[in-house]
Amino acid sequence: MARGIIRGFIILLSVCCIVSANSETINNDLVIKNVERSIDLQSQLTKIVNKLTVENTGKNPVKSLLFAIEQKHKDGLSYIAAQTRDTSRSALKISETKVQNHPDKLFYKIELKDALSPGRSLAIEVETVSSNELVPHPKEITQKEKQLVRYFGNVYFYSPYTVAKQTSVITLPSRNVENYTKFKPVVQSDSTITYGPYEKVAPFSVEDLILHFENNNKFLTIKKLERVIEISHWGNIAIEETIDLYHTGALLKGSFSRYEYARESKSGQSSVQNFNTILPAAASDVYYRDEIGNISTSHMRIRKDAVELNLRPRFPLFGGWKTHYVIGYNVPSYEYLFNSGDEYLLRMRLLDHVFDDMVVEELVTKIILPEGSHSVKLNAPYSVTRLPDTLHYTYLDTKGRPVITITKNNLVENHIQDFQLRYTFPRLLMLQEPLLVVIALYLLFLLVIVYVRLDFSINKDEVSESKLRIAGRCEKILAAQDRRVNSYNDLDDQLSELKANKNTNTFQAAVKSINQEYKTATNTISELSLKLKGESGDVYERIQELQKLDKALKELYNQQQALYFDKLIPGRIGRQPFVDAESVIIKKKEETVEKINSIVKSLQ
Amino acid sequence: MLPSKANAPHAKKVLFPDKQPTNSRQVKSSTLTNAAGLSSLITFTVLLLAWISGFASRLFAVIRFESIIHEFDPWFNYRATAYMVQHGFYNFLNWFDERAWYPLGRIVGGTVYPGLMITSGSIHHILHSLNIPVHIRDICVFLAPVFSGLTAISTYFLTKELWSAGAGLFAACFIAIVPGYISRSVAGSYDNEGIAIFALQFTYYLWVKSVKTGSIFWAVLTALSYFYMVSAWGGYVFIINLIPLHVFALLVMNRYSNRLFTSYTTFYILGLLLSMQIPFVGFQPIRTSEHMAAGGVFGLLIFVAVFRYLRTMLTKSEMKYFGGFVTLTAAALLLILVILTYSGLVAPWSGRFYSLWDTGYAKIHIPIIASVSEHQPTTWFSFFFDLHILVTTFPVGLWYCIKHINDERVFVVLYAISAVYFAGVMVRLMLTLTPVVCMLAGVAFSGLLELFLKEEDKDGSDREGGEGSEEESEEETERSSRRALYDEAGKLRRMKHERPKGSGDGLGANLRNGVVIGISMLLMMFTVHCTWVTSNAYSSPSIVLASYSNDGGRSILDDFREAYYWLAQNTPNDARVMSWWDYGYQIAGMANRTTLVDNNTWNNSHIALVGKAMSSNESAAYDIMTSLDVDYVLVIFGGMIGYSGDDINKFLWMVRIAEGEHPQDIRESDYFTERGEFRVDSEGSPTLLNSLMYKLSYYRFGEVKIDYRSPAGFDRTRNAEIGNKNFQLTYLDEAYTTEHWLVRIYRVKKPEEFNRPRIPIAERTINRRTSSFLSKKTARRKKGLIKGRPTVVKGQKPQKKSTT
Repeated sequence: MARGIIRGFIILLSVCCIVSANSETINNDLVIKNVERSIDLQSQLTKIVNKLTVENTGKNPVKSLLFAIEQKHKDGLSYIAAQTRDTSRSALKISETKVQNHPDKLFYKIELKDALSPGRSLAIEVETVSSNELVPHPKEITQKEKQLVRYFGNVYFYSPYTVAKQTSVITLPSRNVENYTKFKPVVQSDSTITYGPYEKVAPFSVEDLILHFENNNKFLTIKKLERVIEISHWGNIAIEETIDLYHTGALLKGSFSRYEYARESKSGQSSVQNFNTILPAAASDVYYRDEIGNISTSHMRIRKDAVELNLRPRFPLFGGWKTHYVIGYNVPSYEYLFNSGDEYLLRMRLLDHVFDDMVVEELVTKIILPEGSHSVKLNAPYSVTRLPDTLHYTYLDTKGRPVITITKNNLVENHIQDFQLRYTFPRLLMLQEPLLVVIALYLLFLLVIVYVRLDFSINKDEVSESKLRIAGRCEKILAAQDRRVNSYNDLDDQLSELKANKNTNTFQAAVKSINQEYKTATNTISELSLKLKGESGDVYERIQELQKLDKALKELYNQQQALYFDKLIPGRIGRQPFVDAESVIIKKKEETVEKINSIVKSLQ
Repeated sequence: MLPSKANAPHAKKVLFPDKQPTNSRQVKSSTLTNAAGLSSLITFTVLLLAWISGFASRLFAVIRFESIIHEFDPWFNYRATAYMVQHGFYNFLNWFDERAWYPLGRIVGGTVYPGLMITSGSIHHILHSLNIPVHIRDICVFLAPVFSGLTAISTYFLTKELWSAGAGLFAACFIAIVPGYISRSVAGSYDNEGIAIFALQFTYYLWVKSVKTGSIFWAVLTALSYFYMVSAWGGYVFIINLIPLHVFALLVMNRYSNRLFTSYTTFYILGLLLSMQIPFVGFQPIRTSEHMAAGGVFGLLIFVAVFRYLRTMLTKSEMKYFGGFVTLTAAALLLILVILTYSGLVAPWSGRFYSLWDTGYAKIHIPIIASVSEHQPTTWFSFFFDLHILVTTFPVGLWYCIKHINDERVFVVLYAISAVYFAGVMVRLMLTLTPVVCMLAGVAFSGLLELFLKEEDKDGSDREGGEGSEEESEEETERSSRRALYDEAGKLRRMKHERPKGSGDGLGANLRNGVVIGISMLLMMFTVHCTWVTSNAYSSPSIVLASYSNDGGRSILDDFREAYYWLAQNTPNDARVMSWWDYGYQIAGMANRTTLVDNNTWNNSHIALVGKAMSSNESAAYDIMTSLDVDYVLVIFGGMIGYSGDDINKFLWMVRIAEGEHPQDIRESDYFTERGEFRVDSEGSPTLLNSLMYKLSYYRFGEVKIDYRSPAGFDRTRNAEIGNKNFQLTYLDEAYTTEHWLVRIYRVKKPEEFNRPRIPIAERTINRRTSSFLSKKTARRKKGLIKGRPTVVKGQKPQKKSTT
């Protein structure tokens, strides 16, 4: 019950607040003592700086004052800011508001820092920037003609308060003025026109001001700018801007002649051949391209505090022509991304410079956070619309990266300000992507291993299998043969030792083990060869041959041994006959070895 | 062990190696198990390197310029692929492209070989399902280089089947870098040939394999691979004629076998059915003469099989009777075929086919084919340019194959002979020759080195390391696969009585070394040549031009894209652009605008109409252009920078093609001077000087002075001062000209925009009366005045002509 009452009270309170915020009343106690207005029409923008001196003639201190915009200037207004004119030049809070009895006008409420006490006056400065207020007239021009534009304004400063004294200075791009409203006192000198001073002007008074003058500056509008900021925690932030660019000046009438354009400097004055884009100083890997590839006509200059890109669209832009391009670059993340533990703060520009005095009709900024970030909090420098979050999939993503999308219409250079984005990202997730790669490679290798090791054929290939079996047996036989050869080698050693030392006892002992080895080897061979018999008669025969030869070889060794034992050691033989006999045996041995070799070779 | 034993009696110290046996035996057993492993490792490495180097050498254009689709046809393929990726496969098959061939349109799904699009589309699909966001353009750009690696591998397998693994490695390395193939498969050259050569080689490999084994499995794989080839390239006709030719040759050589029967019948039936699944091919395999040979051979093979079977069952006299029956049936079948051809059920040979046999045929009957430079007969120079050393060595390989003939070598011999012939007829068909040249040159080099390096090997293995050139690695591996097998022998080799056997060839070590060094030199020169040709001749995107100044600086002429992008951005979305057909695909691909004719030259009369518009005078052209709803006209003009491939240089082909369809309006002779020259200066024929193409190319060019030495309006491409200056266009309006004047776009005026102001009908009649009444007098008066000043008449004359 009590809770309900409290809730009701809160609602009531908030409604009151809204009502009070929404409808202000004009405080007639305030009087503007002096207005110095300077209107800068040099570019495609209308930049107005109003220097006001406000006096409180009433009894009560005043906390805020109102700033009014005429109905016809309502749509073009893109930026407004207020600040004090004292040495601190501190910015004042300014917000849109509604005023009773004046529903058609746009009002801004400027909140003063300290209340303006009665009788005191205060100097403040209000700056407004509007786009699309300069209308080309005539609407179509040929290539040779100059571009003339018209400006519709108000001779007076448009104010909800009485203005005691005011002057307006209008700065134009050239001294070539076709026509201007002659509302005295007015002075034109060179490229400036000064209206005023006018005294005692009633609130909301309007006196039409029409200016018709030459303006060949860039009338370029970005219809849509899509800015994608992709954050990588590995130290890089990739930025890509997709830009739809229109020339919104006077339309080109008739033909475009390349001959005249190249030859005559006056030709195509209002066309845009190139413009400069300023990127952050740390920008690297800059690219400038469109759907059909790289746009090869651009230059990059690296300045101390910025990277300056001189961009040339593929073709010069005349009135009514448009182009579309993409520009992208990388910046290191340490300049923009800050963290404490798992909490991250990204501070970057919501909108960046494209060209001087630019107009952006629609901005869409997308911020792609690393996969797994959550609890995102956005802090924008001015009011923006945040669209629903989406997901973005790129390399090695599993559940997608969160994308924060922000949009705003009608922006100018003054909107190049930083936003702040806080989010949480568990640092351990950094390991996810390398691990994915590792696992994928591991699985791949495993697959190859399994594929190579296992037999997937559905029918048994008898021939090749038996071939393999035979090869395996042969290998074993050859290994046994090797052992046998070893035993022969040992025997050779022992024999030569015997020949030198004539020590029969050691020889006997050694030969016993050698013979043992020999016997086992021979037995294995004969066993194996029996197994082979069924599979390959050919191989079996060869092995039989081998065995036979081996037997002969063994016999020769026995003969040699006998020769040593029976003849040499007892000394029953002369040197010459012994050498002869030995050489005969050796020769036979060599022959046999050769045969054995050939068989062994064939078995391999 | 054994060797040491043999040495043992001789010297004591030789015994020490004895102690090795226990170790070396283990080593041996491990090498024994690894022998296959080692050789496959080396094969794998060589093929991988061939793939990588083949891929890398195709990237010149990407590195010098950017990742971009080249030339003309690739733009269509790219556009079609992008469409398929965007709209899905079935929508692609049903795609009616209303942006081409206005007002006819083009049924793309039914007039395209979809293999290329499906290949890159599925790669794109796989990558994207793995969250790898690769743009479809990059897949298209790098598809051909990637497939060149696959081509190298399938060439390796094919050569391995035909000859040996060593020759296969040689062939793989050759095909990876040979210019004849690179010319069609550099990065960005996204064309059917890029994947078709792989499909061709792979089909042939599977075919050879199936003939060798006689297994249905391989024959089915052959048919599947053939299906891929059919889906990829019109050159599949080469396969479907070469394989039957092979079968036929084998039958004639009395090499019939059941293996052949199994593989061909399986392949033919499956291949026939599969190939008919491609919408563009449809019923052609049973209805056109190009495919009849395959069917005939199929019948013949069955006859032979039946005949052989019956021979085992029937007596000789019965056989004779049967033989007569066979002849009769064959004759009857042939007759039926001829009748079918005449009745139109089976289409006769197409013109493109005739032009393969008679090089002059196309020039007379199908100028549109002859107008393409790659359809010209090949010069000797280009054989050497594209194949270098291979062109001289491949006859050696061919000879080896003929000398050691067997079933599958008959195939490669036929392949070589037919491919050489076709390559001689058309430059473009150099592409089909290249693989077989690589294979046979591989055989030749492998044979040579086998002879000259084997001994070297025996003399001392340490010498092998000496020839470490890039090329050498292949033949080294080729040997090493053998060496691995001989590894055991390597130990035995030390035995002294083994030696005398080896050096039986009577070749001295110096000679061997000399030959080997010579071969390596040749191969190195081949590599250098390949790289040079690739870099200089085949790596230009032709959309972006680069010019080099004297100090080595490079400037890029990006006029094509400038113009196309201007069209894309600053013309209405449904604007129709008339240009010569060469630029149709590019306009569709880059500017995304409707074109009248494009590189798919299927409708000759439509092209002739455009040709007629270009070659007529302005008012006649205007009638054609309004009847075709043309909004913009695009011409390529190279006179400003000296670009020779411009429309004026192609102009005679436009005239010829127009003359073919409209002989009463356009005559080629009108465009020549009396001496039969084609000139653009003041001596040129007046018909040429007043043609639409001339005017569009040179509009306001007469005022341009390029430098101080040459007169105004000096055409750099043709080195002449143009003959018709200072004319105005009545029906067209210069819409855009690129920075270097390379592309000029004109807008066709609407009827109310002509020089006469638009007057309401009510006023018009009154004005005409009065003005015609008055003008008679004034005209006469003027005439008199002009006659008095003859100089004025001269100045006025071309003016009059241009407007009427």
